Amino acid sequence: MTMSLRRLTRLAATTVALLFTLGIVTAAPAVAQEKPRLGGVLNWFDYGDPGRLDVHAESPLVVQQATAGIFSGLLQYDPDEPSKVIGDLAERWTVSPDGKTHTFHLRKNVKWHDGQPFSSADVKATFDRVLNPDFKSPKCGASLKPMVASVEAVDANTVEFKLKFAAAPFIPSIASAWCRVAAKHVLAKYGDLNAAEAQIGTGPFKFKKYERGSVIEWEKNPSYFIPGLPYLDGVKQYILVGGPTQLAAAKASKIMLWDAWPPMRKTQADELARARTDVDIYQAPINTVFFIYLNAKKPPFDNPDLRRAVNLAIDRQELVAKALEGAGVPCAILDPKLVGDFALPLDEVAKAPGCRQPKEQDIAEAKKLVEKHYPNGLDVEMAVRQVGNYVDRGQLVLAQLRRIGIRGTMKTHESAAGYAAFGKGDFTIIATQDRAMDVNEPSGVFHISYTTESGSNYGQYSDPKVDELADRALKESSREKRKQLYWELQRYLLARGDHASVAVGWVEGWFFKDKKLRNYKPGLTTYDNNTFMKVWIAP
Amino acid sequence: MRRALAGFITGQPLGAAGALVVLVLILVALLAPALAPHGPKDAAFAPYVAPGREFPMGTDQLGRDLLSRVIWGARLSLYVGVVSVLFGVTLGALWGAVTGYLGGASDTSSQRVVDCLMALPPIILALSLMAALGQSVNNVILALVILLTPTAARTIRSVALGVAATPFIEAAQAAGASQSRIIFRYLIPNCMASYIVLVTTNISYAIVVEASLSFIGAGAPPDEPSWGGMLTAGIQALETAPWMVFFPGLAISLAVFGLNLLGDSIRDLTDPRLRGGLG
Repeated sequence: MTMSLRRLTRLAATTVALLFTLGIVTAAPAVAQEKPRLGGVLNWFDYGDPGRLDVHAESPLVVQQATAGIFSGLLQYDPDEPSKVIGDLAERWTVSPDGKTHTFHLRKNVKWHDGQPFSSADVKATFDRVLNPDFKSPKCGASLKPMVASVEAVDANTVEFKLKFAAAPFIPSIASAWCRVAAKHVLAKYGDLNAAEAQIGTGPFKFKKYERGSVIEWEKNPSYFIPGLPYLDGVKQYILVGGPTQLAAAKASKIMLWDAWPPMRKTQADELARARTDVDIYQAPINTVFFIYLNAKKPPFDNPDLRRAVNLAIDRQELVAKALEGAGVPCAILDPKLVGDFALPLDEVAKAPGCRQPKEQDIAEAKKLVEKHYPNGLDVEMAVRQVGNYVDRGQLVLAQLRRIGIRGTMKTHESAAGYAAFGKGDFTIIATQDRAMDVNEPSGVFHISYTTESGSNYGQYSDPKVDELADRALKESSREKRKQLYWELQRYLLARGDHASVAVGWVEGWFFKDKKLRNYKPGLTTYDNNTFMKVWIAP
Repeated sequence: MRRALAGFITGQPLGAAGALVVLVLILVALLAPALAPHGPKDAAFAPYVAPGREFPMGTDQLGRDLLSRVIWGARLSLYVGVVSVLFGVTLGALWGAVTGYLGGASDTSSQRVVDCLMALPPIILALSLMAALGQSVNNVILALVILLTPTAARTIRSVALGVAATPFIEAAQAAGASQSRIIFRYLIPNCMASYIVLVTTNISYAIVVEASLSFIGAGAPPDEPSWGGMLTAGIQALETAPWMVFFPGLAISLAVFGLNLLGDSIRDLTDPRLRGGLG
């Protein structure tokens, strides 16, 4: 029996392909089984100086980044599988049949960085603090207060959370990187967690140094409750303000990781790719909404017509195309990439007033609304924090509002000063402000920026129907009914079009990771998986 | 007139070149609305378009026509330069002339104030002032006035001291002329040459300070077409869009070069020692 040349060639090709495939198959476990290497310091950066370090009381990402590896939570997002919630200080937890009681069984023999033993009293002290109605806790407190009725220490190693209702977002919220457990004795000694000396946690790293405006350093906690971890000797976070400085550090190999806000823009990513071949550059969502805030408590935006005019005039597609260099989802109140079908279909969103293209109809309508109250147009001051590319974005917003007779002058704030001003309502328009989700959960954005009591409802807008729908969705246990409620809420917000929190779109961007960095997986929010407990550096 | 102009061109060719640059700068600033093909703040085009037929200087990161912004930037730079220098140098000149002539405690105390102001590094002082006053074009002018006044006061005072010792001032005093008459009728007019030199040389300084403040984000508001602000945006995309740095940088260099040449030339013409005549 003879074999044709073609058949022989095909057989040879198949054999080679098979061998190649086997090679890949055998090579894959070799990579996965790579033995973690101990030692080394991971260098990355904070976009600004945190100033204050109290993770319960502050909201800037830099505060969370500065303290992420120091504290542990009851639960956490799995560093190996970031969408999964796993135990942290709690080794397991149970839920009562009615879903209203969550019992956390704590690890034993855990020590604080100062050698004191950890117990349920610390958990109770932490959550009593965060849930105190008089304590402003814009992240952890804001997400838990609507759900949690009380926290009790059952015994030294057991804590019980009683909920007001069976809330689906409770577990994702308690696992949030903002709900970290602090030591009762440290809170008693310092009153808060702002000082560097108060950074005493149970986490994989100890707080080593904070040089204002320069660097934050952690060092390995040799007594970490998971034996063998962390692999790194330390983490160094340089405080790098401004895109050019951050990019220069990346190009000069001074940082190994860029995986937090602000993302790189495409031009920056391209520049980095030309400068370094030892990095993996990737585009990803960052679970963050680009907002414009109008102050609904002050003229002129206490007038719903003016708010509607801005909502109509903002060209979200142009802002995403130019300010985010195309990396983002314009108009969406919820991003389907992140929360699936809880998000209203994007083709429906694209037809809503303010989002529909071409823009002429909305601009003409907006112009009429402005002229009705201000025949000669009006002058306003627009505030922006000097971080990321906010100043560029602000200029685009100014240019768009000029089309409808709103003339703006820009007032820039240093990062922390901006937050302080916005929190006090000391602004007319915030031209741009990204708001990252604390948890990857559809309720997040509504309880962050739309409901009356939201921590980032800077415009202090209140609409009972928004509150009611958000509350009903939060309490709803049926997934399908929750979805319908969130759809109704999104449709209501889009149709009404006079909210003081104007969603421009969901932010995406470019990031990079040094190829030597192993076992790092980006979290589902920009806040998660910043502890680096399982990260190591290959030689 | 024509002969004087020809004499200036042949006698001071560099000064004439400087004057030409300054003249172009003034014309561009005055005619900006007519010359600029687009609004300086209109972000209506694609970002990072390279220089070409449609956009001779390209577009910036927000899709604004860079040529239009550079043209409007001339207006802003000249406005800041001229207004701040006129106010700052005039105020300083009056201060220096009056206290220099009066002498005594008022002169001593005012010169200590000048010492204090001049001891502060100019950019640091300007930055502090901008931080205190807030970002606006008029606040840049105010900061520059505060920077320029002591230097002008010190320079004009030294000139005034020399003038005050001349026989015609003594004659006026002997004739019973009032102090204000002596200062404004005889002293100040004889300090005018130095004043004019100070004005011309300091306009370029003011333009550079404004550009520097805007470059570090403490000058004109970011959406204003300031050459320094354009440089800041440009360095963020230096490899991708080098034209964003090149054209505003060129504009600053040309303006400063032209004003310096003109200033040097005016100094040469008005300084008797350099003129080779009366000195």
